[in-house]
Amino acid sequence: MKTVSLGASRPSTVSFRMPTRDNLVPIRVDLEVDGQRYRDAFTWNPRDPDSEIISFAKRTAKDLKLPANFVPQMLQSIQGQIAEFRSYEGQEMQIKEKIVPLKIDLRVNNTVIRDQFLWDIGNLDSDPEEFARTLCDDLNITDPEVGPAIAVSIREQLYEIASQSVSVMREKQLSKKGRRAPEFSSNSKAVNNAVDLFKYFGSKGSVIRKRKEWYLYEPVVDVVANEEDGKEETNNSSRPKKRAEEKVASLQ
Amino acid sequence: MATTTTTTTATATAPAAANTNTVPTPTPPHPRPAAAPAPRAPSNLGPVKSEAPPTPSSTTAATAAATTTASGAEDLSNIITVPSYSAWFSFDSIHDTERRLLPEFFVGEAAAGSGCRGPDAYKYYRNTLIRRFRARPGRRLTLTECRRGLVGDVGSVRRVFDFLEEWGLINYGALPSGSKQAKERREEAVSQSSLPSGVAAPRKLCTACRSVCGLAYYACEKADISLCARCFVCNNYRPGLTAAAFKRIEITEDAKSDWTDKETLHLLEAVLHYGEDWKKVSGHVGSRSEKDCIARFIRLPFGEQFMGAKEDRMGFENDDDITDDPGAGVSKRLRLTPLADASNPIMAQVAFLSAIVGSDAASAAAQAAISAQSRVDLNDGEIDSSINSNMEEESSHTNGLSVNDLLKEAASNARAQLEKERNSIEQSLSEIVDIQMKEIQDKICRFEHKEMLMEKERQQRQCLRDLLFADQLAILHHQRRPQAVATESKNDEKPKPVINIS
Repeated sequence: MKTVSLGASRPSTVSFRMPTRDNLVPIRVDLEVDGQRYRDAFTWNPRDPDSEIISFAKRTAKDLKLPANFVPQMLQSIQGQIAEFRSYEGQEMQIKEKIVPLKIDLRVNNTVIRDQFLWDIGNLDSDPEEFARTLCDDLNITDPEVGPAIAVSIREQLYEIASQSVSVMREKQLSKKGRRAPEFSSNSKAVNNAVDLFKYFGSKGSVIRKRKEWYLYEPVVDVVANEEDGKEETNNSSRPKKRAEEKVASLQ
Repeated sequence: MATTTTTTTATATAPAAANTNTVPTPTPPHPRPAAAPAPRAPSNLGPVKSEAPPTPSSTTAATAAATTTASGAEDLSNIITVPSYSAWFSFDSIHDTERRLLPEFFVGEAAAGSGCRGPDAYKYYRNTLIRRFRARPGRRLTLTECRRGLVGDVGSVRRVFDFLEEWGLINYGALPSGSKQAKERREEAVSQSSLPSGVAAPRKLCTACRSVCGLAYYACEKADISLCARCFVCNNYRPGLTAAAFKRIEITEDAKSDWTDKETLHLLEAVLHYGEDWKKVSGHVGSRSEKDCIARFIRLPFGEQFMGAKEDRMGFENDDDITDDPGAGVSKRLRLTPLADASNPIMAQVAFLSAIVGSDAASAAAQAAISAQSRVDLNDGEIDSSINSNMEEESSHTNGLSVNDLLKEAASNARAQLEKERNSIEQSLSEIVDIQMKEIQDKICRFEHKEMLMEKERQQRQCLRDLLFADQLAILHHQRRPQAVATESKNDEKPKPVINIS
């Protein structure tokens, strides 16, 4: 008798939160005032009081030597994003045990990193920060700013998915057709993203990827020198050290 | 690039090897004597009650020198100065100071449940920040550049950063603009850290100011936020919530504050004067609410002893619950009234005396009296003179006599009550036994009835069997008939060979 476990999940409704161990909000700020550009991304704990936001904004402006008229815009942006997060908070979202592919495609200072992997949305104990740290350690990334960027990127994608599932729930509740159908929810983007695990793993049920697909899932890290225009390598093997050495050699 | 990397490695590996704050060097220039007693550093500054570091002017900085490796690139000797009040720091472990001033990482559900938000995260932040600073000691680290390089939420990073900065583990001796802010933050930390440390685990953290809520805290279910009283009053919560959404939850009762002797004295005086008017009593005491006064009064040690006897007397009159042992198990209600009842000279005197003598002596007297009472033979009714030793003579004599009489009466009444109780118990026991017997009897009847029915059925079955047997015989008989017509006779009832009827 086949035990059907993958995919045939019973969704549980949970009150909205980030599907990670710590309920942190990813915040992205992108301002331009008087020709000066400020771009930043970080994670914020929504339980911190509002006074913290103000002092954080002031401190950041001071540290980065930004003019004072940055502060109100920064504040607005941050508070807006937090308020949006909180507006979701009262509602319910439906967690199906979906496994979604996440993508990372970032450039941080001189490092370009691209990666894709599968993430379990249903695991409310998942930890993007730990993932980011491990990734940076394993790939020997020297620039410390890469880690937070990766963590924020993952959180943003998770936030996106979580907020979509809230709207799916809302639609369901609003429609009120009384259908007690199984979860064949139709047109939401989120579901289409989900990997149909039956198909994926096939009847053999092996969890190991085929060797020829490995290259699709290897992270690619490149260190781009300043003078170049950020050429991206199309070669799919990840050997960052070797490439960095080549670059150094070519510069000398 | 090369130089900074070498300095990083040098200073990073060196502190890890050391236990104290001094970084060992191959050629120590002139290590000051302050470096030696570094492990005992807090004592250098005299008694430091709270964890607040004193002002910088009074610190004796322990200096340590770190040299670069002999790569020949640069010959800097970076001096990393750590103030002696932070001498406890080490890369490998977490000190008590840190646990106390940053409880969010060590106490509470978030910290305990996961390794991420907990001590490991704290260590990661702290070590990274310090290493980063020590890479370029002359340069002042800003929070923004640090938090950009740390994976985690910026609120926690900021708190660790502030903590390290005010304790001089970061940005110490850096640009002057930093020191003023550091002073201010230190003063903040003083006010925050001077919370009562007598509160045991589990402590509640305020989500706003991240300090331990000592007294009571306000919890909001809707957003899972708990604030300490200060933050609640400052409206330090989100605009989406109203004050009504918060519920007040008390943490401890008397641990909030211990009643000093003066306060107890005031309390007793007030009770003496005002009796049961707790408003006036609390006004007289001053800084205690009515509830506190009542609660404290109940818990005072001296009241029990004498109120036991008095309570018995009152109890007989009122038909209240009487305990077998006079002086034990006093109900709150009765305890309050005797003392306040001015018509009772004994109680008034006792209150007055204990107020004069002070709570310690009063409690000692109470203890002695209790032990004396237990030693009293209820039949004889002799009072030990140990009571007299602690109280003044006259009052004790009068007390002794009346107590004696009361005791006798109480004892005899108690015995009577005891008898009653026993009788009632026996009665109820016998009732129970009766009922059980009845039950069993009913059951037996029913079983007998059933047996009879079964017996009848058996008989019926036997009849049926017989009939069946007879029928079978008849059939066989008829079968044999065509074969043996001649020999057949109606009277031939001789049974054929027995056929097994299955």
